[in-house]
Amino acid sequence: MVTILSAHGYDPGPSQRPLRAGAISGIIATVPAIPILVWLGSLEAEAHILGLSPALTIVLGCLAMAIAGAVYARVFGRAGNNPHGGWLFGMVFGFALWAGGAVLVLPLASGGLAPAGKAALGVALSLLVWGLAVGILLPFVHRPLHESLKRGSRHAEVGPDAAAGKDKALRGRAQGQAHGR
Amino acid sequence: MMRVVSFRKAVIAGVCGAAVMEICSALARLAGAPTVDFVTQLSSVAFDHSPVLTNAAALAAHLSIGVCWAIFYAFFFWGRLRVPPLVQGLIFSLLPAALAIFIVYPELRMMRLHTEVVSLSMHSFLEPLSPVTAASLLVAHLLFGLTVGAIYRRPVGYGVGTKPRTPALRRPRPEHGERAGNSSGFMFATGIECSYPTIEHGRWRRDEMDSTRHYSLWQHDFELAREMGITHIRYGPPLHLIFEGIGRYDWDYCDPQMAELRDCGPEPIADLCHFGLPSWLGDFQNGDIGAALAEYAAAFAERYPWVRFYTPVNEMYVCARMSALDGIWNEQLRDEGAYGRAAWNLANASIAMSEAILKRRPDAIFINSESSEFYQPCCPDPHVQQAADAANERRFLPLDLIYAHPLSKPMHELLRAQGIPDQEIKRLAKREVPRRSILGVDYYEWNERLIDRSGKALALGELFGWYVIADQYWQRYRRPMMHTETNRMDANGAPRWLWRQWHNVQLLRRSGVPLVGFTWYSLTDQIDWSIAISEPIGIVYPVGLFDLNREARTVGLAYKHLIDLYRDEPEYRECKALQEIMS
Repeated sequence: MVTILSAHGYDPGPSQRPLRAGAISGIIATVPAIPILVWLGSLEAEAHILGLSPALTIVLGCLAMAIAGAVYARVFGRAGNNPHGGWLFGMVFGFALWAGGAVLVLPLASGGLAPAGKAALGVALSLLVWGLAVGILLPFVHRPLHESLKRGSRHAEVGPDAAAGKDKALRGRAQGQAHGR
Repeated sequence: MMRVVSFRKAVIAGVCGAAVMEICSALARLAGAPTVDFVTQLSSVAFDHSPVLTNAAALAAHLSIGVCWAIFYAFFFWGRLRVPPLVQGLIFSLLPAALAIFIVYPELRMMRLHTEVVSLSMHSFLEPLSPVTAASLLVAHLLFGLTVGAIYRRPVGYGVGTKPRTPALRRPRPEHGERAGNSSGFMFATGIECSYPTIEHGRWRRDEMDSTRHYSLWQHDFELAREMGITHIRYGPPLHLIFEGIGRYDWDYCDPQMAELRDCGPEPIADLCHFGLPSWLGDFQNGDIGAALAEYAAAFAERYPWVRFYTPVNEMYVCARMSALDGIWNEQLRDEGAYGRAAWNLANASIAMSEAILKRRPDAIFINSESSEFYQPCCPDPHVQQAADAANERRFLPLDLIYAHPLSKPMHELLRAQGIPDQEIKRLAKREVPRRSILGVDYYEWNERLIDRSGKALALGELFGWYVIADQYWQRYRRPMMHTETNRMDANGAPRWLWRQWHNVQLLRRSGVPLVGFTWYSLTDQIDWSIAISEPIGIVYPVGLFDLNREARTVGLAYKHLIDLYRDEPEYRECKALQEIMS
C-alpha cells in the first residue's frame, strides 16, 4: 500500500507538515477511544498485562497514539488529507494497529498474555474508533499547519535550480568544462 | 487521493456483497452444509440481552463492514489489474478472507470468553479454526468479492442523456481579485481540464470537470489560480451540457463561473469545443457541426461580450485522431478517411466559430491550441520512413486548413477521397486568416515518437525538446505563438520539467519568435490521463498545480516561484508581441 500511495506523488510537498499534524490528530483521537477502553474493562486488562497503573497506561497510550498518528499522516500523505476518504484510511490504519499490535505484538511482548472477553472487544473497538477519528481529523488539523503558498514557493528546491534536477552538482572534469577551463 | 470513488456505487456494492454472504450462508445452513455466519458470530460477542436487537445490530455491523471493504476496494484496488471487474472483485476478496480467517474469526472466539486476560500461544489462538471453517469463510468472501466486482464499475462519468448537478452558486467573498482585462503582459496561464468526449460507442460521457469536482469547487479553483499569480486561465464551459439544441442553451452550467472570472479574473481563454459534442449533434463525422457550433459561438460571444480570448476548437488534430483514427472517443473509428473527414469538419467548425465571434467581437483574439508532435523513423527502411512522413503530414492537416497553408499532396488526396470538392479546399486556402490569431503549441513527454520497424509509434520522451518541435510549427505558419499545455505525470519530477519547459520558451523568444504565454496544464490533477480517458476507471494522475483536495503540489509552488521571479521583469511586464496583437 505504501508503494501504491507514493508511486503517484502522494507524498506531501515541502509546505506540508504531516508528522506534526498526524501527532496532534493522533492525540485528539484518543478522546473518544479512551472511554471505550474504560467502559469495556480493556484499560484495566491492558494495565494488568503491561504491569502498569491505569493512569500510566493512558499516558503511554496517548504517546504511542501520537507516534501512530504521525506515522499514519506520513504514510498516507496526501491521501490522508482527503476529507472524503480519510475516515476509511484511518479505520484501515486502526485495524492494522489492532491486528498487528494488539493481536500479535502485545501477546508476544507480554509473554503470551492477551485481553479476552469484553476487554478484547474494547481494544478492537477503541482502535477502530481511534482510526476513524484520526482519519476524520487529519484533513482539518493539517490545514492551519500548512505554510502559505507564498512562503512554500520560496523553498530552494522549487526554484530555478530544479531545472538541473539531481544532476545539478557538477564534479571534476565536467565542472572544469562548465567554468570554461 | 488515488482514485475518484463513486461512494454511491461502493455503498450499494458493499451492502449487496454482505447481503449475498448472509443469504448464501443461510441457504447453506438450510442445506445442512457447514458454514460460518458472521451475524451470529458478531451477535454473540457482546450484546446478549435481546436476541432481536442483537441480531439487528450484528446485521447492521456486518453490512457496515461490507460497505467499508467495498469503499476500500474502490480506493485501492479497482482498476489496478487489467482483468474484468468480476475477476478484480474475486482477487480482491482474498484480502478480507485472509484477515477474517487468521485474525477476526479467532479474535471473535476470544471475545466470547468470560475472562479479561488469557494466556495465549499461536497454537491456542488458531485452535478454533478448522479446515472446514476456513473453507467456509473463504467461499463466503469470494461471493462477496464477486458481488462487489459485478456492481462497482464505471465510477466516473455518466450515461449520455443524463446531466450532472448544475455548478454551485456563486458565494459572495471578502477577497476579490481584479481582472486585468487589457493587460499586455506575458500570459502566465493554467487551465481547468474540461474534456468531455463520449466512450463506449456514444453511451458513456466522460466529463473531467465533473470528475475533478470543479462544478462544486469552481470558486475555490479560481481563488487558487489568483493566489498563484496566474494571469490567464484556459476555461472550457461544458458545451455538451449547455448547447441543448438549435437556439436552446442551459447557461446555468457556466453563468456563475463566467461572472466570477469577469469580476475577479484570471482572464479567461474560452475553450468552446474540447474533444466532444452534445449527443444530439452526433460525432465529428457529421458535416453539419460547423454551422451548429458557429451558432453556439455566436450565442456565447453575445452572452459574455467581455470575453476577448477564444480557443474555438481545442487540439483539432488530437480530437480527430483519437475519434476517427485510434478508435477511442466519440465515433470510435479506425480509418484514415474518417480522420480526414473529422479533421475537415473540425477545421471548418473552428473557422465558422471564429467568424461568428468576430461579428460580435471584432477584436477577439484566437488561440488555436494544437498538440505539437513529431515522428522520427527508427531506421532507413523505406516503409518506416513512409509511415513517419505520413504521420508528420497528418499532424499538420487541421492547422494547414485553418491557417490557409498549402496542403501536402497526400493530405489533399485524402480530403478529395472523402468527396470534399476541390473548390471547397481552395476556398479555405484563399481565406484571410484573422490577424489576431495565436498558434498554441502543447507539448508533453510523449509528443516525440519513434516509428519502429513494425510501423508502431513509441513515445521517445524529450529527445529534441519543445524548442525544436515548436520551431517546426513556427517555420510553417509564422504566427505568434504560445506554449499552451504541458505537465508531467511524475509529481516529483514536475518542477524540473516546468523549469526546463520555461527555458525552452525563453530560448525560442530570444531567437525572435513572438511568444506571448506559457501554460502549466492543468490547475488540478486529472483523471485517467495516461489512458486518454478511454475507460471510466477514475485513476488520479498528479499532473496539477494542486491535487484534488486543492492542496498545492510541489510544481504549484515552483510555478508560483517562476511567476514571482519573472512577471515584473520589463520584457514580461509588457510583452511586445502580445501588445501588437491586442492593438
